Amino acid sequence: MEEFKLTTRDEMEAETDKLLEIGRKVGADSWQQRVKNQTPHCRFGEEGICCRICQMGPCRITPKSPRGICGCDAAGIVGRNYLRFTAGGAATHSDHGRSICHTLYLAKEDGNYKVKDPEKLKRIAKEWDIETEGRDIYDVAHEVAETGLMEYGKPFGTQRFLKRAPKHTQEIWEKEEIAPRVIDREVSCSMHMTHMGCSSDPEALARQSLRAGLSDGWGGSMMGTEFSDVLFGTPMPVDTEANLGVMQEDMVNIIVHGHDPSLSEMIVEYAENPEMIALAKSYGAKGINVAGVCCTSNEVAMRHGIPMAGNFLSQENVVLTGACEAIVVDVQCIFPALGPLSKCFHTKFITTSEIARMPDSDFIHFDAENAGENAKKIVKMAIENFQNRKKDLVYIPKLKQKATVGYSYEAIVKTLDTVTNSHVDETGTTKPLNECVKSGIIRGAVAMVGCNNPKVRHDYAHVELMKKLIQNDIVLVVSGCAAQAAAKAGLMSKEAKNLCGDGLKRVCELCDMPPVLHMGSCVDISRMMVLVANLAKDSGWNIDELPVVGCAPEWMSEKAISIGNYVVATGLTTFLGVYPQTKGSEVFDGLLQGGIKDWVGACFHVVEDIDKLGDAMIEEIERKREHLHI
Amino acid sequence: MATLFERVFKGSDEMYAKAEAAVAEVSKEYSDDTTCVFPDTAYYLPCLYSMTGKKINTLGMVKEGLAWCKEQMTREKRTHDIFTSGIATACAAEIIEACKYIDGKQPYDKSPLWGHCTDGEVRELGVPLVTGDIPGFVVLIGPAPSAEEAVEIVKSYQTKNIFVFLVGGIIDQVVSKGVKTGFGVRLVCEGYDLWSVSYVISVAVRAALIFGAITPGDYDGIRKYTFERINAMVNAYEPVDDMTVACGAGAISYGFPVVTNDDNDMWRVPRSLIVQKDTKQFVETSLEARGIKLKITNIDIPVNFANAFEGEIIRRGDMQIEADGSRVDCVELVRTKDASEVEDHKIELIGPDLDEFEVGKKICLATIVDVAGRKMQPDFESVIERKFHSYINCIEGVMHTGQRDMIRIRVSKSAFEAGFRAKHFGEVLYAKVKSEFDAVVDKCQVTIVTDPEKVHELRVAANETFDKRDERLLSLTDETVDEFYTCVMCQAFSPSHVCIVTPERLGLCGAVSWLDARATHELDPSGPCQVVPKTGVIDERTGRWESVNAAVEKYSRGALSSVSLYSIMEDPMTSCGCFECICGIEPMSNGVVIVNREHIGMTPLGMTFSEMASMTGGGVQTPGFMGHGKHFISSKKFMKAEGGVARIVWLPKALKEQVRDQLNATAKDLYGIDNFVDMIADETICEDPESLVEFLTKVGHPALSLDPLM
Repeated sequence: MEEFKLTTRDEMEAETDKLLEIGRKVGADSWQQRVKNQTPHCRFGEEGICCRICQMGPCRITPKSPRGICGCDAAGIVGRNYLRFTAGGAATHSDHGRSICHTLYLAKEDGNYKVKDPEKLKRIAKEWDIETEGRDIYDVAHEVAETGLMEYGKPFGTQRFLKRAPKHTQEIWEKEEIAPRVIDREVSCSMHMTHMGCSSDPEALARQSLRAGLSDGWGGSMMGTEFSDVLFGTPMPVDTEANLGVMQEDMVNIIVHGHDPSLSEMIVEYAENPEMIALAKSYGAKGINVAGVCCTSNEVAMRHGIPMAGNFLSQENVVLTGACEAIVVDVQCIFPALGPLSKCFHTKFITTSEIARMPDSDFIHFDAENAGENAKKIVKMAIENFQNRKKDLVYIPKLKQKATVGYSYEAIVKTLDTVTNSHVDETGTTKPLNECVKSGIIRGAVAMVGCNNPKVRHDYAHVELMKKLIQNDIVLVVSGCAAQAAAKAGLMSKEAKNLCGDGLKRVCELCDMPPVLHMGSCVDISRMMVLVANLAKDSGWNIDELPVVGCAPEWMSEKAISIGNYVVATGLTTFLGVYPQTKGSEVFDGLLQGGIKDWVGACFHVVEDIDKLGDAMIEEIERKREHLHI
Repeated sequence: MATLFERVFKGSDEMYAKAEAAVAEVSKEYSDDTTCVFPDTAYYLPCLYSMTGKKINTLGMVKEGLAWCKEQMTREKRTHDIFTSGIATACAAEIIEACKYIDGKQPYDKSPLWGHCTDGEVRELGVPLVTGDIPGFVVLIGPAPSAEEAVEIVKSYQTKNIFVFLVGGIIDQVVSKGVKTGFGVRLVCEGYDLWSVSYVISVAVRAALIFGAITPGDYDGIRKYTFERINAMVNAYEPVDDMTVACGAGAISYGFPVVTNDDNDMWRVPRSLIVQKDTKQFVETSLEARGIKLKITNIDIPVNFANAFEGEIIRRGDMQIEADGSRVDCVELVRTKDASEVEDHKIELIGPDLDEFEVGKKICLATIVDVAGRKMQPDFESVIERKFHSYINCIEGVMHTGQRDMIRIRVSKSAFEAGFRAKHFGEVLYAKVKSEFDAVVDKCQVTIVTDPEKVHELRVAANETFDKRDERLLSLTDETVDEFYTCVMCQAFSPSHVCIVTPERLGLCGAVSWLDARATHELDPSGPCQVVPKTGVIDERTGRWESVNAAVEKYSRGALSSVSLYSIMEDPMTSCGCFECICGIEPMSNGVVIVNREHIGMTPLGMTFSEMASMTGGGVQTPGFMGHGKHFISSKKFMKAEGGVARIVWLPKALKEQVRDQLNATAKDLYGIDNFVDMIADETICEDPESLVEFLTKVGHPALSLDPLM
């Protein structure tokens, strides 16, 4: 058997260089080139001290002009920008969640979308006091969906899912007045607060940032995750492969990209349709190969084992292989560059959502009613495009790694159940993990999430940090583009146990799991919240006492900041590898990196040196252990 | 509250200090070049040797071993450090025990304290481990809450065939209740002090060296092997001190879970360190923690039934009745019948029952098992029949030796008093035959006969069957069959070893003949014994076939690509480690020396069995050395390529007697030599090469005139 080895960043970059070389031949643009064009970035923007909120400005803060025209200081400007950034992220995630609620509402026995996990649906219904006894499962689904939709606009009260948090955490939210009300209100309120002539108090702006974030993590995102599981099945461990080598030279390659599983699930279904496969064969292909990019990839990998072609900064590479018949996208993190790029090759760039319309794309509007029909149409378009492939432009790098993905909260508990002893332990809890942490066999856990960002060498921070952490017996739960970074490198292979310290290695062996656990897409960070909530309940410790931290070393989007806010507000200290646009105000930055700890027991730390970032997390975890006398 | 890490570090420091003191103590009296080794092992101080590769055999080197232990006791707050400290604690414990053996001392008299287990004993475990007859090991460290409970847990493990080691106060508890202990009954009292636990680790790591062919010093390789393949467990009764916790860390590093009822300052680790307050649940909790699934055969008899009782000896004074085939008529027979002639689970007794005889009586006994099944073949009768010995021996309080009409069975008074009667033989045979041969036996009935006249009739009839079977066996040669079989039963422990079983060459463990392999294949077509069609002959002299090479390559997963069945010099067959005998070439006499596992003395090669055995095993080819079964010695295919049995120049006396008749017959057939066995030397004649050649010259041994071996 071939010895297990991680794929290095150098190996991946060498292949990327070859692809870019091909790209240059056909006149393709690239993000690498655009980064050069955009550098250096505007310092005022980078530090968050450019205010473009009213037409008196833009105003910029300098030592000579410490206030804007309205008199707002750096702390107020930075704080407002930060809150707007957060609101953007919360709105985005939550709108994704809302669209899943709508899909659930339209689910029916003989429809395009069905309830695949009725048990989970019943559990949620019970949590929400919705009757399930003797009712048709679709009746229940519709009432749950409608109740979920009300979480976006009901006039009174706070988010229903807050009750999932430990009592201690709920009390903090109440006391600090950051318990999120309805989602749309938190977003609107954020926009209102940041309007000209409203809030400029840094504390108030920071508090609302946390509250808007919480409405995402414990509201919109959580509904997105939970209802996706109800509709498409709760992920359980499944084997897959990752990196560009999953694309198949002799098959029709369809790349799904974006976030909402409603689209990708349908594409996957029709790509397996015998009629479509026969059609593909009639065009000289051996079959149809669906692979994913970005969070869509996470969704279909963890439910179907669909291979992962790459993450955010790999999206252009899949087109550059010259072997991509269609790249089908829905919402979020899609480069408008894909339009012009696809024109350099035979690739069809297919947009499907009214939320994400782009030039140079074929728009096929996708909704619950026409999903099946349109999915078939898309698959057919891709197949028919196979004949247009320019053979001399095809280059598929051979790199790929095995990965075991699909560790939803439920799957983690099920995995932990396998190491319980029926004569002493109960099942269905996180207690085995607690015992590993308490005894010190595992030192703690890091929730590593987030994007790619050209400010950091692609995937390098994710992978290097993960390697360092697992070597120190720290288990990782990951999602989003961090997850794909791990999978591409090989860290989600069970063989990666050999890169761990003795403690984590033993745990991986006994649980038959990889050391880096794939928890899903970026909305699925809500799964991590459920995990820490239950870890706290099962251990008797508060969330902020747990030796668990969050980390986003290559983050870039507004969603990431929204996530950061709810992770911190839940009690997990979070380490960032890229500086947010807050450097311009020591006061506001100081709140984020210190002051808010007095409110929620956790705060942000920004450490741009990746090596030091790893050490800082390990130190924080050890500090928490000492505090607990473990 | 001390953390787990603090406890392990403290405990390992304590053990180290004790080892340091023990070494200092013996150093007062002995110099550094004094021998300091365990007896009958080729693996020095096995714990240390396996982890370091250091060949420690003097007091001076023991000191180096101690220094290594200290280096391993690192103190970072990582599992790695408690693991290395834990293993170093076990090694320091081994050093304390090794000091007791200094200068050839024998510190333990085996009544009851056993101390070091020899290589022979470890190798003996090979077959039962492979077959699952010993599903695992447990070491009980205690005293248990009461002597009654101590006996209860020991019996409970024994009935599950788990090999039990005792350390500490539980020894006296068990012994005081009259429980038999010793290696034979798989209940070994190691010592009263915690450090004697190192003897258990020593057995586990030698399994890795012997059966797994792990290189000594391959620290992680040894741990991987024990974690994946050795089902051992620790049960520690409260109070558990820091030193025990440190040893526990070592055990866990090797993959062995620790179960304790002490929850004071104890840190639970799933499937590794388990707190079970109810000591009565230790057994079930431990088996689950190590993932041991037992083959369950519920047999309705009034005494225990387990492999642990296989080695039990029943003395005349303890005997209720005896069936002795050398004095009266006795016989055991399996008969293939039509399904209509067999009533499933019918157990019939013809003649008086055991309670109708006076105490100490020699009785006639016939045990007839009739079987029917669509896939049953008469060739399997002897395969099933040969298992009677093991089945009946596993009954607590019953001893069985021999086969066919030369058997001896003793039933102890205690078994009799517990209610054991003749029909219970039937229950045991029925249950075992039906469960182990379920693929070929659909129906089975047992008839037990004690009526002397009827037994006599049956014996006469049976002998006709035996004669026919012998004729059939004689006609079975490598030339007359079309297929051989692989046997990879050992691969659970020896992953790259493959046996090729032929009519004239049984498996090297002695447990698998060609017929056994055939039956095994029939029982489990995708199991360990696969058909190797005898095709593509390459060289008849050395026994090479293309099909055999292909099978070996396939089933060793590429580790081996070529074997010759009849040569020990050219690509000899590999060994797993549980071979009955090993032969090695003796250059001066131009012959080979064979030594069996039971023989612990020196051979003319200047090596003991253990030392010769350590030259091979683990699926590695070592020209000049070969493990094999006892029956292979008199085979016409034994070393056929190098001239055959005429090469045998030395055998231990006891083994010589066992093979005498058949070996003489083979030599007569092959070379026309009469009484060839008398030309072979043994330990009463010589143990060195010079005297060996002298003797061989005197008797005119044929090996001296054969072509040079090398």
